[in-house]
Amino acid sequence: MLCIAVGLVIFALSAEGYKTPEQKADKDRADIILIDTSPVFGRGDKPPVAFPHDRHTEIMAEQKKDCFLCHLKESKPQAASAGPAPQPQSTERMSLKFKRLKDTNLKEVRRIYHDNCIGCHMSMAEKGQEFGPIICGECHKESGAYGSARKPSGMDNSLHFRHTKAAQNKCETCHHAYDDKAKKLFYAKGQEGTCRYCHKMETEENRISMPLASHMSCIECHRLGKEKKLEAGPVTCAGCHDSKERMKIRKVEPLPRMERQQPDTVFVKTLGKDEKADIPRMNPVPFDHKSHEGYNDTCRVCHHASLTACNECHALEKPLKEGNYVQLERAMHQWDSQKSCSGCHRRKQQPKECAGCHLFIPQGRNELSESCLKCHMKPLPDSASVPLTAEAQAGLAKRLLQSRVPVNGTYATEEIPEKVVIKYLADKYEPVTLPHRKIVLSIVEKMNESKQAGKLVSYFHDDKATVCQGCHHNSPASVKPPSCVSCHSRPFDEGNLMKPGILGAYHQQCMGCHEAMEIEKPKECVECHKERKK
Amino acid sequence: MSVSRRGFLAWMGAAGITALGSQAGATPRHFKGYPQSLCVLHDITLCIGCRSCEAGCNKVNELPPPAVPFTDLSVLDKKRRTTAKTYTVVNKTAASGQEKKPIFFKTQCNHCLEPACASACFVRAFTKTKEGSVTYDASVCVGCRYCMIACPFEIPTYEYEEPLTPRIMKCTFCHPRVTKGLLPGCVEACPTEALSFGKREDMLKLARERINKYPGRYVDHIYGETEMGGTSWLYLSGVPFRNLGMREDLGTTPAPELTSGALATVPMVAALWPVLLTGIYALSKRREKILSGDKQNALAQAVAEANAKSQAALTAAMDKAKREKEEAVQKAVKAALEQSAKKTQEQ
Repeated sequence: MLCIAVGLVIFALSAEGYKTPEQKADKDRADIILIDTSPVFGRGDKPPVAFPHDRHTEIMAEQKKDCFLCHLKESKPQAASAGPAPQPQSTERMSLKFKRLKDTNLKEVRRIYHDNCIGCHMSMAEKGQEFGPIICGECHKESGAYGSARKPSGMDNSLHFRHTKAAQNKCETCHHAYDDKAKKLFYAKGQEGTCRYCHKMETEENRISMPLASHMSCIECHRLGKEKKLEAGPVTCAGCHDSKERMKIRKVEPLPRMERQQPDTVFVKTLGKDEKADIPRMNPVPFDHKSHEGYNDTCRVCHHASLTACNECHALEKPLKEGNYVQLERAMHQWDSQKSCSGCHRRKQQPKECAGCHLFIPQGRNELSESCLKCHMKPLPDSASVPLTAEAQAGLAKRLLQSRVPVNGTYATEEIPEKVVIKYLADKYEPVTLPHRKIVLSIVEKMNESKQAGKLVSYFHDDKATVCQGCHHNSPASVKPPSCVSCHSRPFDEGNLMKPGILGAYHQQCMGCHEAMEIEKPKECVECHKERKK
Repeated sequence: MSVSRRGFLAWMGAAGITALGSQAGATPRHFKGYPQSLCVLHDITLCIGCRSCEAGCNKVNELPPPAVPFTDLSVLDKKRRTTAKTYTVVNKTAASGQEKKPIFFKTQCNHCLEPACASACFVRAFTKTKEGSVTYDASVCVGCRYCMIACPFEIPTYEYEEPLTPRIMKCTFCHPRVTKGLLPGCVEACPTEALSFGKREDMLKLARERINKYPGRYVDHIYGETEMGGTSWLYLSGVPFRNLGMREDLGTTPAPELTSGALATVPMVAALWPVLLTGIYALSKRREKILSGDKQNALAQAVAEANAKSQAALTAAMDKAKREKEEAVQKAVKAALEQSAKKTQEQ
């Protein structure tokens, strides 16, 4: 009985004595670091600790203390890159570990954490300040007690430009390569790539992981910049990993082009680098590299493994290991991959202004062979074969691209039927009058204004009747397409199971499109079908 | 005397009574439905919750007029079950964070290929017809309501308000209409073709084709293809079926296979038990005797063979070990001799 009473008192005291900051909001924090020794030392007997890092940084700042209260200085390996911009000659850097440089053994590490965390909390308690947990269970909570709103961070082209400017175009500040023979890092001019090409999510041999590399280099540089009262990037967790904070990162507009000797126009190769041209192949694809740079935030969207031509790793006939066994045709057309041309173009069909029609087009690569020629353009009459030099190729690709004729819109307004009367369900309702012209014009307007789809619309909707085919599908594009009932006569046709009957066709098409385009009206049956007067 | 389930069923077969159990009885292999049997595919992504199917069902089955008119969609706010007066209901899921819009879906008897209700019914009031429907014969029903307990989908209902002639009420798959070549009432009434009607194999093909063509729209599962051994109503959905409250724990074994050993033979137990048992017992005892004689012989032979084999293996192993030991000893002796020879030379 006494024990329980004492326990209760202690519990009450501990609950009263301090307050974990925003305890309830812990699940929404971007700065939760899981202090978990199990990957290094094996499973312990207590659950890992969810540590709110930014909260501690705030308190440090309030108390006019710096990062070195918790993080030790370590000597920088000579092999490391030329060093962060503000202090390129420094030989020391901040260790990312807490109060130690190495994970020696569990006993030692445990002692470091317990002594320092609890020690600091206790000293604050003695001073009568708000203090952190000092009882086991307050830190070592069962899993599920913590959660994280941490979003992966990364550099986009705009942020890269700001960094280039800050580093005065000295790419070697961050970029380096590894010399296998000399066993050290060096700067390879013109070979720069995304950090992630080498630094993977996990540390591999002597190649540190991406999280480690970025925290070591980015934060160190930002910290030194802040020390020198320069405009520097975030040093808090939330600054990079909180979705709201990330929105505050200033975008450069208009964004100058990145300089990496990339082509303006180029032919996308239809053969692997070692393959011979005698394999039957498609026309090479003229590609507007310059425009596509602007369509994406980063280069690594497409150049996911290196800043080289796709056919360096992907071959047409042979699945190559360096291409993760993905063949060239798949690499370009895999519809559900963001790295492929088709995949990215398909994603552009998803915004609501496009989804109304594109919703009904089956997924997968089953376009008409005609549409292959949209990218695999027929050669110009005066140049049937692709020239050999890169410059000549770029020139020809440019000419091909310029030969494209964009189509905006559809037939002249007076050619579009104004109203269409639908007389089905006439036993219950009055005939439905479809404002056909209004619908067509509004679709065309939304389509042309779509920022997401951009130039894709005017190029791929290459006929005045293409937009009509959103509804008048499966028949050749024409100003007078067959009426719906000519195909959708009866439901549950054993010969063509996928083809709905007339009621299904209308309701699925109209309502499906309205839902996809987020058109509020009509909500009730009677908004389309007027009740039949009896 | 111990009797295995299989043995017991074999008796029944011997006595020529399987005719009784052929439709709902135990079948050692999976019954894939009557060929050409009919089916409805309910594409939940197309359901708009208009309740037209309920109205259509009510009309063609001449059910009592509903308490709330079918045009009143406020009833969807509450989860409903089938009742003695409504063979089918449309339900709505609350719009959650993931789905922007609520999802509507229809519930009715799934017309299992091997129905649990039929296997539970000892008067054989339920029949799985070759058209695909599970029909009910009120004239033989004794009102035990085992079917209601047996049904994993909680579909059959009972006319509790009927004092004299209460019946089990459930969807009939519009059997009278279907045999006339008409569509089931609900299917005919559905304006969006969220219900497709056709042969089961065709509906499975259709469902697969929809999933293939629109993989982003559907979860890759056809509910009813294998659930409880398969049903004559199939479902496609854009969200996991458990989110709609549809059971995903049913497994693929048809109910009768689980229960028929005990249940499907109940009618015979009542009428023919004493006569049958005596005869069958004698027959089977005789066969068992013969069989057990054979079995014992075979067993003895097998044991002898196995013993001989293991003996041979043992001898071989022991020989080998012996050889190795001898070799090792010789080797050691040789080495020692050599060493001593060397030593003497050195001296």
